[in-house]
Amino acid sequence: MDLSRYTFKNHHMKVYLGEFEELVLLTIAVLGEEAYGVLIQKNIEERSNRPISIGALHSTITRLEEKGFLKSWVGGATKERGGRSKRYYEITQAGKKAVAETKSLRDELWDLSKIKLALK
Amino acid sequence: MNQHPPSLARKFFQLIAGAAHVDDLLGDLDEWFYINLKTQSPRKAKLLYWKQVLSLSLSYAMKKRKRDARFSNYSSSSFSVDMLRNYVKVAFRNLYQYKYFSILNAFGLAIGMSISLLMIALISFVSTYDNFHKNKENIYTVISTQREGIEEKAYATAPLVLADKLQSEFTGAEKVVRIVKGSNLVKTEKENIPVNAYYVDPNFFSVFSFKLVQGHATSLSKPNQVILTRSAAKKLLNEENVIGKTMELTDGKMFEIAGLMEDHPNNSHLSFEILISLPTLPESKLSLQDQWTKFDRQYVYVLLNDKATRNDLQSYLDDISKKTSAQSEIKVTFGQQQLEEIVMGPDLRQSIGVNWDTTGMLIFGAFAALILLPACFNYTNISIARALRRAKEIGLRKTMGGVSGQIFLQFITETIVITLLSLVGALLIFVVIRAEFQSMLVAGSTLDLSLTWRMVVLFILFAITTGFAAGIFPALHFAGLNPIQALKSKINTRGSSLQIRKILTVFQFALSFGFILSLVVFSKQYRYSLNFDFGFEKQNTVDVELHDVDPEQFRTAFTQLASVRSISMSSGLLGVNTSNTWIRDQQNDSTQVAQLFVDQNFIPNFDLEFLAGKNFPNEPWQRERYIIVNEEFLHAYNIEHPIDAIGKIYEVDGVDLEVVGVLKNFHYAPLNHPIRKFFFRMNPSHYAYANLQVTSTDAYTMFTQLESTWKQFPTTKKFIGKYFEDELNDAYQTYQVLLKVVGFLGLLAITISLLGMLGMVVYTSENKTKEVSIRKVMGANIRSIAFLLSKDYLKMMGVAIVVAVPATAFILSFLLPQIQYYSVQLSVWDVLISVFILLSLGLATITSQTYKTAMTNPAITLRSE
Repeated sequence: MDLSRYTFKNHHMKVYLGEFEELVLLTIAVLGEEAYGVLIQKNIEERSNRPISIGALHSTITRLEEKGFLKSWVGGATKERGGRSKRYYEITQAGKKAVAETKSLRDELWDLSKIKLALK
Repeated sequence: MNQHPPSLARKFFQLIAGAAHVDDLLGDLDEWFYINLKTQSPRKAKLLYWKQVLSLSLSYAMKKRKRDARFSNYSSSSFSVDMLRNYVKVAFRNLYQYKYFSILNAFGLAIGMSISLLMIALISFVSTYDNFHKNKENIYTVISTQREGIEEKAYATAPLVLADKLQSEFTGAEKVVRIVKGSNLVKTEKENIPVNAYYVDPNFFSVFSFKLVQGHATSLSKPNQVILTRSAAKKLLNEENVIGKTMELTDGKMFEIAGLMEDHPNNSHLSFEILISLPTLPESKLSLQDQWTKFDRQYVYVLLNDKATRNDLQSYLDDISKKTSAQSEIKVTFGQQQLEEIVMGPDLRQSIGVNWDTTGMLIFGAFAALILLPACFNYTNISIARALRRAKEIGLRKTMGGVSGQIFLQFITETIVITLLSLVGALLIFVVIRAEFQSMLVAGSTLDLSLTWRMVVLFILFAITTGFAAGIFPALHFAGLNPIQALKSKINTRGSSLQIRKILTVFQFALSFGFILSLVVFSKQYRYSLNFDFGFEKQNTVDVELHDVDPEQFRTAFTQLASVRSISMSSGLLGVNTSNTWIRDQQNDSTQVAQLFVDQNFIPNFDLEFLAGKNFPNEPWQRERYIIVNEEFLHAYNIEHPIDAIGKIYEVDGVDLEVVGVLKNFHYAPLNHPIRKFFFRMNPSHYAYANLQVTSTDAYTMFTQLESTWKQFPTTKKFIGKYFEDELNDAYQTYQVLLKVVGFLGLLAITISLLGMLGMVVYTSENKTKEVSIRKVMGANIRSIAFLLSKDYLKMMGVAIVVAVPATAFILSFLLPQIQYYSVQLSVWDVLISVFILLSLGLATITSQTYKTAMTNPAITLRSE
């Protein structure tokens, strides 16, 4: 029996992305230049069909910023916000690499797993 | 849009956020509110707003934003070696710039640390005791407790017979060593040399790791074999090639030298010069009838095998204790000590070697701390007081992005630099006082306090710890400064820190005062003891130890000397050493009584006063018949008039003795014992001393005469004669040590508190230069200005004295009777003398500075402004 297909490829993964972290990063990537607090939360809630707390979201954003996966800038005040500016987020190069690595790990596992057959 | 987000929630959120940037979050919250308002009731939307506020307030995002807000944009919390280098550089520059204060601080800390260094050196050495034995984990010594009636005594000894039992019955014992401690005199051509000898079993060398250079341990299984240490070989035979030679002890026994060994290390609790084979001891000594209860100088060491545990040994010992003491009146129980616990263990009777008891160590530690802490406090005090000078620097550092952790580190580094410098000074003091310190300790000669690497490392660690302790408050103080206030030189030094500083200064002076007062009182007690009226004549008497010389022959030979007026004999020295015995009256009550055997010349020679009756009859001695008692003796037996006691019969040592005389009370024992009941007996077989009443004033000629007369006797012993008064005074030599210790510690404590005060006075004087100048211009005179500058310190010294007098009086009233039963009382004069000493030292320090400030020409200082 050929066992080689069960061996692990070395991905040099230095970072670990949690499920929610990945979700936030990808959503920010999807929203592009429009990514700010309210919109990110709305998007995630609608897409995943689950309520998330504003505290949890901003904690995750803060940690991703600390890890260097996100950068932010300030701008775009509107009337609904009482004239307060928005903070926009953008995924960094390191952030892109981290999501890509997570994805390739997933893909590899998908390729190897039996579920592949079931889905076909 | 007439609905608005709840303003209370927003205010709450802003309050939580403080200086943190949360504008975007507030915007988001508002946006969510209006989104919710479209689908929900206003009430529900407000509730959701609150919920989000709480969620954000507790989130990590808020925590992080708040943390960021604390620091300037230039801040970096990362640690870099470059910064540390900068701190050290700044520290040295500061030390150099404020030389005066640096020297004060370093000097004070050096003094403060010196005693602690002694303490560390001592602990460092003591903790290495017996660590060179390979089997150290498995070696145990058996100790014993003897209970007789209500009296319980703990001994380090154990019967040799127990060793045999352990060997044959206890399976956990791999090897058992028996040791009997002896002190012997070795005969050499010139003189008899005393040596410390252990009688040991051959497996002494296989249990303990002592190095045998020549010969075999097995030879110790034969009688009359001896193994010498190198230094003993040198001392006794003056050579190292000693194997096979013979050696004679003064009791006539000949020994063959069977081996040579290295001297045991200093840190060995077993301390000996020669090892004698145990079979040398007579059989009777090894197995006496009462061998389970009488085992003086006998020690048992057990090497356990790997399977046996300490508990096994203890339970075996418990069993055997039960069996052996079942039939005897004296209950003996056995315990054990692990080899490395022996030295630091409890203070046992007849311990085989040195014993460092923990209480003594703790007291020593307390004194070391009492000297060190004031020195640390001085540093703290001066540093905080001088904060203003450093305020601009700190303000600037903070504005440029220095975070409080870094300021803290900077100041701690600075303190550690100064404590490390002080360590050099402390080390110098340490080296100077080390020998004196060793000579004061009972076991000082076995101590090795020379510097080792281990000790150096400990010293440096200690210096760093001290730096931390002294620097933590100033560092926290500086780290917490508000940069804006600091830059404006508006630092709030008032308030609680000032109060604490005052309290600590008062404490320092109280401590110094306590030392001064103790010194005054101890020296008074010393003088009191030396001049004490013992109730007998102590001048012009020379005591000669009789050894094996016959008292009558001695008397005949010495009475012919012109300088000797009369001679009396005694078994001990009055006021120094008397023995105890049991006495029984008609009611059959046995009680303890002190006694001295004397001849009929003794009482007249010592000028003791009779209350009733007469001296021992002047007739040839046949058997013991009479006693002469003291007043206290009458009190003990409820006899009212001395005359009534005459003729009463008491049974002593199985003989009925009749009271023939009653003496007025006198101090037959040293002053640390109260006068109890006492009697004189007459029995020539007990005489050990001849007391010569001498007339000569020329001591040298007289002693040569005495010595040449002594040489007529066929004895090998040296002539040992001393003035009785000197011997009496020798008993109070502890005071000299005590005075030395208290004096030295007091000197250190006073120096430290004066240094601290000097620092503070210099600082205040510097700060008040302008005020002083203006006052002088307005007409104040020098004296009033000096008083103005000094009065705070005078007040603190006053408070210190008020606090210290009752505290010291209390401690002394407890301590003095402990040292000596007949002790002095603290008098007003002692207090006044101490107050005078403290105040004059303090005033000299203060006025030296305040006068300088007061004398400055106001024109110069005011112009420079």
